[in-house]
Amino acid sequence: MKRIQDLPTLRIDPTQGRSLTFEGRPYQGYAGDTVASALFAGGIRVFGRSLKYHRPRGLYSLDGECSNTCVAVDGIPNVRAETTLLKDGMRVTAQNVKGSARFDLMGFMDKLDWLMPAGFYYRTLHKPAAIWPLAMKQVRKAAGLGIMAPDFKMPGRYDEIYPTADVCVIGGGAAGMTAALAAAESGLRVVLLEMRPWLGGSFDYRVQPCADGRPLHERARELARQVAETPQIRCFTQTAMVGAYSNNLITAFQVGGNEDPFDERYIEIRAQSVVVATGCIERPLLFDHNERPGVMQAGCAQRLARTYGILPGKEAVFSVGHDLGLETALDLCDLGVRIHCVADCRQDGQDPELLQALAEHSIPVLTGWVAAKAHGGRHVKGVTLATVEGTVKRRLACDLLVASAGLTPVNGPLILAQAPLAYDAHTGYFLPTALPAKMFTAGRMTGRNHPAAIEASGRNAGLRAAAACGADNGAARAEASSALEALPGPERGSKLVTAPVRGRKSFICFDEDATVKNVKQAVAMGFDVPELIKRFTSAGTGPGQGGIPGHNLPLVTARMTASAATPKPTTVRPPLVPTYLATYAGRHHTMTKRTPVHDAQAAAGGIFRRIGVWERARYFSDDQDCREEILNVRRNVGLLDASTLGKFRLHGPDALRALQRVYVSDMRKLSPGRIKYSAMCNDDGCVIDDGVVVKRTENDYYFTTSTARAGQTIEWIRYHTRYDDWAFHLVNLTDAMGVVNIAGPKARQVLEKVADTDVSSTAFPFAAYREFTIKSEIPVRAMRLGFVGELSYELHAASSWMPALWEILEEAGQALGVKPFGVEAQNVLRMEKGHIILGQESEQRTNLLDLGLGFLWDRTKSDAKTVGAVALRQAEHDADRLKLVGLRMEDNASAPRDGSIIVDERIRGYVCTARKSFTTGEAVGMALVDAPLAGLGTRLAIFEDESDGQLRYARVVAMPFYDPEGARMKM
Amino acid sequence: MHAIKRQSPVMFPARPLQTDLRDHWEVALSLDEEGPGPWLVDLCHQPRWDLQDGRVGDMQPGGLAVPEAPGACRLENQLLINRMNGTQAAVWFLGSGAAPVPADAAGYTDVTEATLFLALFGPRVFEVTEHLTNLDLGTPQRRTPFLLQGPLAHVPCQAVVLARGEDGSGGMLLACSRGYAHDMVHVILSAGAAHGLRPAGENRFKTWLADLDRHQAGPNHRQ
Repeated sequence: MKRIQDLPTLRIDPTQGRSLTFEGRPYQGYAGDTVASALFAGGIRVFGRSLKYHRPRGLYSLDGECSNTCVAVDGIPNVRAETTLLKDGMRVTAQNVKGSARFDLMGFMDKLDWLMPAGFYYRTLHKPAAIWPLAMKQVRKAAGLGIMAPDFKMPGRYDEIYPTADVCVIGGGAAGMTAALAAAESGLRVVLLEMRPWLGGSFDYRVQPCADGRPLHERARELARQVAETPQIRCFTQTAMVGAYSNNLITAFQVGGNEDPFDERYIEIRAQSVVVATGCIERPLLFDHNERPGVMQAGCAQRLARTYGILPGKEAVFSVGHDLGLETALDLCDLGVRIHCVADCRQDGQDPELLQALAEHSIPVLTGWVAAKAHGGRHVKGVTLATVEGTVKRRLACDLLVASAGLTPVNGPLILAQAPLAYDAHTGYFLPTALPAKMFTAGRMTGRNHPAAIEASGRNAGLRAAAACGADNGAARAEASSALEALPGPERGSKLVTAPVRGRKSFICFDEDATVKNVKQAVAMGFDVPELIKRFTSAGTGPGQGGIPGHNLPLVTARMTASAATPKPTTVRPPLVPTYLATYAGRHHTMTKRTPVHDAQAAAGGIFRRIGVWERARYFSDDQDCREEILNVRRNVGLLDASTLGKFRLHGPDALRALQRVYVSDMRKLSPGRIKYSAMCNDDGCVIDDGVVVKRTENDYYFTTSTARAGQTIEWIRYHTRYDDWAFHLVNLTDAMGVVNIAGPKARQVLEKVADTDVSSTAFPFAAYREFTIKSEIPVRAMRLGFVGELSYELHAASSWMPALWEILEEAGQALGVKPFGVEAQNVLRMEKGHIILGQESEQRTNLLDLGLGFLWDRTKSDAKTVGAVALRQAEHDADRLKLVGLRMEDNASAPRDGSIIVDERIRGYVCTARKSFTTGEAVGMALVDAPLAGLGTRLAIFEDESDGQLRYARVVAMPFYDPEGARMKM
Repeated sequence: MHAIKRQSPVMFPARPLQTDLRDHWEVALSLDEEGPGPWLVDLCHQPRWDLQDGRVGDMQPGGLAVPEAPGACRLENQLLINRMNGTQAAVWFLGSGAAPVPADAAGYTDVTEATLFLALFGPRVFEVTEHLTNLDLGTPQRRTPFLLQGPLAHVPCQAVVLARGEDGSGGMLLACSRGYAHDMVHVILSAGAAHGLRPAGENRFKTWLADLDRHQAGPNHRQ
């Protein structure tokens, strides 16, 4: 198709060709084209098939308001051809077709609509129940939009930015631009979002004169120039607003161009105030076959011609309900389209000048008439017009039917911002009855259509938004308000609900193939509000959300239910415009922590897993049972990176009081050079943390927490001392200090080689704390502990020293067989010793006593002053609690999986940790069971996943399983 | 065993051209291909302290008064004091030589090792940070230097804006948990790749800071 190339409104560059293929055939377009405009210019009228009935679908709005032109582009499904800029080499295929878009083998479905009444999938094929799974598969095969393979990898570059603004203006039409310019007058930072690739909105392609006599498109470009020259305004084009959240947090996504370093990017704007100037879309006209290719909205037809240089048809009939439709008819006539007739559903109220111009162009106008049926197959061939009452009909031949019932504001952003909407009888719009704080509306969405009034309302809103940010612009606001009042206000809108038809093929929602008849069926079944009808008929649940049915559904419902209540629009939810999950994912960065000896462990073959916020070496070989790692610790010596432990300094005059409050033990008994193991409970007595505390100097303590609790510890202690006005200070040293645990019978021999102090058992006994240097350089805080049940030393050193310390220990232990061991080996080693890990052997319900840690609780402390003590006192004699027990499998071949449940007539507990112990040769573990099952020798039945219902059996046995006297820890 | 050295958590993908061994830290003074900016500099070796006291506002680390309002900062003699909240301040030494705060002074804790510490500065630097955080680093309501505490790349951070030009240039310091160093450096360099962000040595930052002190000292710079 030859393009019109001499229009000042064109947004294509005919000097830059672009090629694409559609269903394997080559087509040509130009830079600035969308996929849809290029294909339309190439003669494509059917872009795909509809969801249920496989009806042919074509261009309708050019703004992606429905799924009519959703196509697959380069393998990405559900791409909106109407809003996707053409890039060279795009491979485009139609969706939901068997065959091709023009010849779809499933097209016969259109004849079977009688088999698929409203909500048929809720009501049919469900009895007997066995049918539905089979039927569902067939329904899904026959219906749907794009198809994506499960292993599809999304191509492209995705980004995210978080610009801050004082004023965010949504919509880059005339009102949005004037609002942005007005807000910027106060020096505020303004962000302007526009969905199209350029600013201008409805002015961009219109040739009607504005106040100074110039055509509107020139005025739009002048405003756009002003915006570009205003440094405070940051303009994002090709950017669709998708979400509005509390405190004016606005989210959007931007589609990148060839020069941008991204294909799409997520934008999150925290603004002080917001102007919504999103304008209007056209309200679809409801008549039979109202979505047949060749039927399109007035804006679509005019933009095809004015923006892309493509005549939308040769012989046109108009059925409209607003003056923009009349304006479009005149414009298309001037551009060469033969207009047979304009049917205007309004009886009166038309702009007399437009009527006069139509008469001068010899275009007949039928007031009070409307399209009743579009004729044709894959494309419109004619139309039946009727009076709005349906009393008289007339058939005309045409290849273009421009149809529009009126205008409707794009109020999705307002709905997202929780603005209540109500039907306005004058404009026929759903308008906000109140606006959220610091949010303002402007432009056509307020009902104003006079160009000067559109701009004035934008300026007024921009100044008010600036004032909401604290700008002192009272005089300017008063002037702008007066100027606005002097201009024409909101116009009376068309009230037509449907053409005089039965509605079997009058589609209220194109995405879901929902018809007016479907709504009638839903109402007949008792559904009486749009939100319910939406769900039952699925109208409005497609990718366009409320774009096509949003306005009509409540009106049709109100008419069919004869409701006296004001119609209410259905809800829309973010994202307002569909976008890729990849866009939300942004740059795909997973932020995790690494310990200071991460690289050393990686070099030693460490296999890392994410545990909480940390990456930790879980194994050091492919053997996930860690046999060699475990046995090396038992026989020689191993190195464990325990740097993820929480580590804190608590200092100040009241430091001891704070410790006394949160720990269950009596921390006064803590003496310098000694370690105290204790636990923290919550108010229910349930254990939330355990660790060790050392007293470094007077009023200066160093303590550790479990890895998982490190992040909450400071808040926990502050919370439980908030009324005490105690003078103490807490510093989180978790990242500042690394920890290496040297464990095994040869641990002392390793440490002796490098420590600048006597580490003999006499000088450094079990449960002692020492500070010394390694190799005369590295200061360490050393704790002699025995978590894995062997002689072991925890060396805490500043993180920057840790790589050197690790290397020194590896070197010193080389002849002694030192090897690193990972978290899984540690897990088994400590289980053999019967030492618990909170979260593994505990859960939300388990208190200190349940876990056998009652010995930590100092009962002489004041209960009221120790967090959890009151609850522990009450639970002390409660026999109906979970208890931690040891278990040994009767079948020693393997241990049950962690989390396997313990059952009799009901669930009686679960296995916390169980492993085949290489040390003892037995399959042992720990379990939490109901107290009556905790007696030694009790037989436990264990149900394991994927065991085909075969129970496994174990006996409750005493713990620990390894070295019950603790001799090895204290050697 | 090589010489015992302290190791920064930052590993830049660039070759050091000049280094300096300082208290066992091997500090990169300049790197290969630093480019025209913006730059990212590893300052993890610079001493830093946490200062807590019920009357922190009356304290004078290094002889400087702690700013009164949370979020306010004071930068003098290459010592930066950031008031974090009612009872806490962060003290960051940006100079060379002896640290101005005694290690064991009451209320002070040396947290040099606790955090990743980076300088991000140069032309268009705030176009880079916009990819990383919704903190309003460009707010005209605050005079530089000022402190913002919040997420950067979804990680809780302290960010001190030292200077800010209308063209998006300027500089900031950034501190977060040391363990995030690998991912944080990666994400910053990735976000800045399109803006020409390159790693640089300490000299680059010291020079920029000295220029800042020379050209921007005045009411907009100090409080």
